[in-house]
Amino acid sequence: MRDDPALTQVANVACLPGIVGYSLAMPDIHWGYGFPIGGVAAVDAHEGVISPGGVGYDINCGVRLARTNLHFNSVEPKIDRLADALFNKIPAGVGSWGAIPGLSIGQLKDVVRDGAKWALRNGYATERDLEHTEEGGRLPGADPDRISERAYQRGSKQLGTLGSGNHFLEVGRVDEIYDSKLADALGLELDQVTIMIHSGSRGLGHQTCDDHLKVILGAMARYGISLPDRQLAAVPISSAEGQAYLAAMAAAANFAWCNRQVMMHLAEQAFLEALSITPKELNFELVYDVCHNIAKFEEHTVDGHKRLVCVHRKGATRAFGPGHAALPEALRPVGQPVLIPGDMGRYSFVLVGLETAMRETFGSSCHGAGRLMSRTKAKREVGGRDLRAELKALGVTVRAHTRAGIAEEMPHAYKDVAEVVEVMEAARVTRRVARLKPFAVIKG
Amino acid sequence: MPTKPTTTQTEDDALFREFEHTGDIGIELTAPTRAELFRRAAIALAALLVERASVAEIEQREIAVEADADLDLMHDLLGELLALFTVEGFIWRDASVEEADRSLRVTVRGEPFDPGRHEFRGEIKAVTYHQLMVENSLDGWRSRIIFDV
Repeated sequence: MRDDPALTQVANVACLPGIVGYSLAMPDIHWGYGFPIGGVAAVDAHEGVISPGGVGYDINCGVRLARTNLHFNSVEPKIDRLADALFNKIPAGVGSWGAIPGLSIGQLKDVVRDGAKWALRNGYATERDLEHTEEGGRLPGADPDRISERAYQRGSKQLGTLGSGNHFLEVGRVDEIYDSKLADALGLELDQVTIMIHSGSRGLGHQTCDDHLKVILGAMARYGISLPDRQLAAVPISSAEGQAYLAAMAAAANFAWCNRQVMMHLAEQAFLEALSITPKELNFELVYDVCHNIAKFEEHTVDGHKRLVCVHRKGATRAFGPGHAALPEALRPVGQPVLIPGDMGRYSFVLVGLETAMRETFGSSCHGAGRLMSRTKAKREVGGRDLRAELKALGVTVRAHTRAGIAEEMPHAYKDVAEVVEVMEAARVTRRVARLKPFAVIKG
Repeated sequence: MPTKPTTTQTEDDALFREFEHTGDIGIELTAPTRAELFRRAAIALAALLVERASVAEIEQREIAVEADADLDLMHDLLGELLALFTVEGFIWRDASVEEADRSLRVTVRGEPFDPGRHEFRGEIKAVTYHQLMVENSLDGWRSRIIFDV
């Protein structure tokens, strides 16, 4: 780890003008571009800078978890049928139409302005879903006119699509409860069937980052900013370029929330069709939705004083402790649910944020297992092995849109996520609530 | 002068090399000339997106980019080509390059992407600036590019 480029990246982030406190690394840290993946940096909201590289190309990449009334034994005989239904219902996005084909630019502007609220208006969400989504599924300040025509074109067929790489939909069962009181509060119980979705803002977000990064790179010198990595390019938050990026970032973040909400709706439809049950029997409910690539304005106590900061979380999850006003009333006594996917062969975790996170990490936690192996090495290691059959033997049915999608994401390409969440718990940043074991995985 | 297209799928390994990057995809390229370096980069991007051998050279598209530095020419060229794939759904098998000091005119030859015939290898979100390198040395031209995937 000492020679890992990720550590240099943590040091580079500490050079950002206006940074408050430490440049932080979460235990799932690995080499990214600009910021490390698993990096957190808070900058002063007035004197600090905004860095698109501190958010990433996949603006508001995130995770959501839904629970059902089903128990594993009732679904087990129909896993293949369920996996097929999910695979057919949820497009990956390349060469396929989205769930909502051909949105006009005018319609897309509504999506980026309203986020998950657009999904609510169009029958893809409930009020309860929005309450259980970070920021209510809509970041304020989104300006649809800060999104380029090319970004709209890239996103036009992608609402309700998963994407490839490490994105996935995972059906699992709760196989361990660490805190029964917290689990009760989140509606989780042993052997219950859950659905986890990991995706982001798709081409619309990728292009938005690219467009604004270029403008910011060109403007940096004007503000006397020089940084050790071009990918860290940053401008003052108060500058015209900074404000334009923040308005565009919010718009792309809203697209991502709407995207995950639509996919959750599609997943519910797939369950109902594959298992021939009623919505009441299924009782599909969102536990929570978190984003892990974002910059947010939040008030934190620094050196005993309340201070408004802009928290860049790049591969890091917000983890607000109990009582925080940003949480919906139902979750306020519990703390914010923190969803930590592992790899597709082992397990994922549900945690909650603790008060310590507010003091030590600007209310932030890890976001996943963290890669251990490059994609190239993972593919080499897999070689001619039939990974699909190996995972089947482990009790995991996989459906993938691309062959590489499985090899690159082989379980041992990742750290053991159990160790990652144990570090967060030892630091009293989060507490473990439940562990989820996947049994059906859809990959892009 | 336009470079002559001579590459086939089996020669991909000679055109570029993937290097170990924990999160994303990194490639290294070498070439005897500047124009050939850009041409190989264009082909490498296609090879990362699809199984290039399945692509037929039926149509062509032209991309023009301008920038003060070779680094930005490389970034912008690959960004434009990525958009050609993601927005227009066009995939190419080969490319030729006309170069000037601060501009490139690149012609790619291929066909509309067809998921039934072209094996998609995985999404590329963007061409990053992280450790982006284009240099000329005694041994020829070299470049290093990291893609966000």
